[in-house]
Amino acid sequence: MEILIAILTVFTQPQLLILVGIGTFAGIYIGAIPGLSVTMAVSILISFTFSWEVLPAISLMVGIYMGGVYGGSRTAILLNIPGAPSAIATAMDGYPMAQKGEAGQAIGVTTVMSFFGGLIGILVLALAAPFVSEFALTFQPRDYMLLAVLGILLVGSLSTGSLVKGIFAGALGIAIGSVGRDPLTFTERFTFDFKLMEGGISFIAVMIGMFGVSEALQQLQNVNMKSVRQKIDRIVPSFGTIKKYLPLSLQTSSIGVIIGALPGTGGDIAALMAYDHAKRVTKNPKVPFGQGAMEGLVAPETANNAAVGGAFIPMMTLGIPGDAVTAIMIGALFIHGLNPGPMLMIDQPDMFWFIVGALLTANFFMLIFGLTGIKTFTKIVEMPRSIIIPLILLLSIVGAYAVNTSITDVYWMLGFGVFGYFMRHYGYPLGPVILGVILSRLLDDNWRRAIISEREDLGRFFEGIFTSPLSLVLFVSVILIFVSQTPIWTALKRRLFGGETL
Amino acid sequence: MDPEFRGDIDHHDGTSDALPGGYVEKRRPGELGFAIFLTLASLGLLYSAYGISGFEALSSPGSVPMATTTVMLISALVVAWRTAKLPKVAGETLSKDILPVMVIIFVGFLILFGVLLKPLGFLPTSALFLVAAIKLLSRKGWGYSLTIAFLSLFVIWLVFRIVFTVLLPAGIVPEAEFIQFFRNLLSGKG
Amino acid sequence: MSRKLIGAIVALGLSATVATAQDYPTKEIQGIIQWGAGGSTDTVMRSVTPHAEAALGGTVVMQNMTGAVGAIALNYVVDAEADGYTLLMGAENPMLYKIMGLGDEDYSAFTPINLLARGTPLLVANVNAPFDDYAGMLAYIAANPGELKMGATGPGGLPSVITAMMNTVEGKLDVIAVPYDGDGPALTALQGGAIDVMPAVLGAAIEGVRAGNMKPLLVFDTKTNATLPDVQIATDANAGYATYLPWGPFFGVFAKNGTPDNVIAALTSAYATAAENPEFVDLMNGRGFTMMNISGEEATDFLSKWQQGTAWLLDDAGLTKASPADFGIARPSN
Repeated sequence: MEILIAILTVFTQPQLLILVGIGTFAGIYIGAIPGLSVTMAVSILISFTFSWEVLPAISLMVGIYMGGVYGGSRTAILLNIPGAPSAIATAMDGYPMAQKGEAGQAIGVTTVMSFFGGLIGILVLALAAPFVSEFALTFQPRDYMLLAVLGILLVGSLSTGSLVKGIFAGALGIAIGSVGRDPLTFTERFTFDFKLMEGGISFIAVMIGMFGVSEALQQLQNVNMKSVRQKIDRIVPSFGTIKKYLPLSLQTSSIGVIIGALPGTGGDIAALMAYDHAKRVTKNPKVPFGQGAMEGLVAPETANNAAVGGAFIPMMTLGIPGDAVTAIMIGALFIHGLNPGPMLMIDQPDMFWFIVGALLTANFFMLIFGLTGIKTFTKIVEMPRSIIIPLILLLSIVGAYAVNTSITDVYWMLGFGVFGYFMRHYGYPLGPVILGVILSRLLDDNWRRAIISEREDLGRFFEGIFTSPLSLVLFVSVILIFVSQTPIWTALKRRLFGGETL
Repeated sequence: MDPEFRGDIDHHDGTSDALPGGYVEKRRPGELGFAIFLTLASLGLLYSAYGISGFEALSSPGSVPMATTTVMLISALVVAWRTAKLPKVAGETLSKDILPVMVIIFVGFLILFGVLLKPLGFLPTSALFLVAAIKLLSRKGWGYSLTIAFLSLFVIWLVFRIVFTVLLPAGIVPEAEFIQFFRNLLSGKG
Repeated sequence: MSRKLIGAIVALGLSATVATAQDYPTKEIQGIIQWGAGGSTDTVMRSVTPHAEAALGGTVVMQNMTGAVGAIALNYVVDAEADGYTLLMGAENPMLYKIMGLGDEDYSAFTPINLLARGTPLLVANVNAPFDDYAGMLAYIAANPGELKMGATGPGGLPSVITAMMNTVEGKLDVIAVPYDGDGPALTALQGGAIDVMPAVLGAAIEGVRAGNMKPLLVFDTKTNATLPDVQIATDANAGYATYLPWGPFFGVFAKNGTPDNVIAALTSAYATAAENPEFVDLMNGRGFTMMNISGEEATDFLSKWQQGTAWLLDDAGLTKASPADFGIARPSN
């Protein structure tokens, strides 16, 4: 009963309800603008809400977080520029849908599925937080490394064109991610003795350049083509559609919660892994993946919103951030005189249940705002290209600059934009590059930690893998997925099951 | 149609990200050059990665970069080899299909933007860029271009500079004084 | 209204006049935070600055500028005008840039506005570690050489300094140093058992210790810590630590050298007032930081003493790229 009252605190004070609403609304638009990140918005809010009481401040931040993770999908679908890293996978099938005039439907499905994923995430947070956080803590460096390898194998499903080109792109991404001073030893890597390269290449700059600038340059070739008129009659997906994707969305939501709860991995990796999972389990999609498959929207959007609930799990139970936004929220709680950590759940359980309630409310607001603003929003793609192309370019520049207040990032963004333009023309997939950049640190740092912990001994390293059940499961998955992507598998299957292959 | 073909049906331009452009069994103008460039770049990066820490230890900072650049080099070689064997696409030229004048102009615009951003400041540079770009693309009157450019620039500036307090390069515009003046005006301290 | 308008025109036209130096601040001030959002430096700066803004009657716009252990932010402020409109909000790291080969500048290019607070290092262990105190850990290391996993955060970080201190005082300890990119991730790994012990700043570890998720072994201070009164202090464990303690990471606000005196004075008084704000003091105490709130000569002395002690300690442990002597950093006298 007390729990219920704490959850419903949000509703007892209209001020809190309004703040969650404002936060969610603002979050959707912050998330939709590339370069404005939720992380940034929440950290600005810390100084802004400094003098407030703790509950209103948290309400606003929770709203922004929930809305922001969802908002990234808007620009991904409409412009092929993911507003936030967690929406990269959404662009893969969302943008092709917009090109066919189905943006309204794409946003509708995305919204409902984000809501569903968010709900699962919150549910797990509310019911199983201590259990999940205990599980997340058992991940050792070698498990993180195996997880990264598992992620890198996604290159296979992100490269629709030639696999070799995809492998090149993925390796390039990992190399880009390692530019600058190595965070563990401060050794310079690929800096060529240039001071401005010491800070490394901002991941956001690569993302905005590859997706935004190269897309805009591409569009220059058909500037006078009439914009695709968007059908906006059927936005809310039918009950049948939702039911059809229910099993898939349950699976991808679980991926989202787990990846979100692991410290150091967040919605971006969760969404990509979920996309890969969907591609693997969907035998006969109505539309092929990469050309506007509904499954390609359902998977990443459920996963990244489920990751929100997931990220709160270690934060609320252990005081360990699940991602960058929860790290800032921990700071915010400190400023407001609370001590986020394992004792918070014991000393102030109301706070935990209040956050659960606020998340739940934000999730509902997200559904409402997500389904109502679509008509106006889709107008963006119907704007004449002669206006929208310069605006995309300007927004890309400001966005790349804003992340680190760095002009160098703008240069990188422009460079990768032009490079990405050529990659598109010559059939090199861009997705793997981004994937490589995202996973680079996870792979590199944890590989080194793992092998250092075993005193540089490969024998001890593999002994460790085979004696830990978690590592073994991850290792076997890596092997299985790897084999299933190579020709050996097809040959083997043919021999075992006879002529028919998938 | 080739069942292996995954590109755009009419233009092969990779308009959608998940569907890279290009042909599967033909080589576009400049494609081989690009592949060779990537091979050479990979070789250079591999050399640079070796320079980080050599074969010092499995855990050295250079071990993962060396592994990835080796993968880059091998895959780039394979791509270049395969590309070289393909016949050229008939009827496509570098200047018409890969690098039309408009793309070159815009890349020039962007480079100019990068150069001017710091000395001139965000507002003047962006204004120049937007006006020039919209005028060039829309082929409509100055009034149209100026109105659209300034209106959208104002909105972008408002969101980033005022709401999100991102410190865009001020350059020649005394932006900070200006904002402080309005802040004082609002708080009645002016 | 017309006077305001004229004022605006004047302000717009003459952005760098003498008048601006006298009635500082006439425009908003940039505060460049050396570390990312949500980190200790970020939290401290974002909670003290609103009070300073009130005292100063101006606006400080804070920006996180990360990368290269904070060197990017430092260089940005060094390259800006010395007019007091660009401030550096940083931690102790720049004092070691030169000897670590990370940069050519340190806080000697800056005038300290306020050194706000100092952290206390604490050695913590995983709950399942086969020892309960510092002496037990030393015995375990002696009995199992090269088996204990100790968290590290790269050269020049707090763990590297504390490890160097331990190696100097206790003789070389044969442990595995597992590198992490910050004490947050390392403490997470400690709780998961990926590492066994970790020297961390008290504030970062305190909640885990209170909940019994980590074992505190030793407080690196000369006096009993008020937050953890039962934990042994370093000088009691080995008198040799007295040479190096008290030592700890610190947070400060800095302006570039050459900033007009009246601007420095205005900022110094604003931050001094802000640092006395009871809310801020409570916050810092709660996180286990020791308030310093020093400026001027006192701050400069603190900085040079800190630098001398730490730089030579690291150099003696063979962890530096260049000798402190190359940069005129004198060996501490005692």
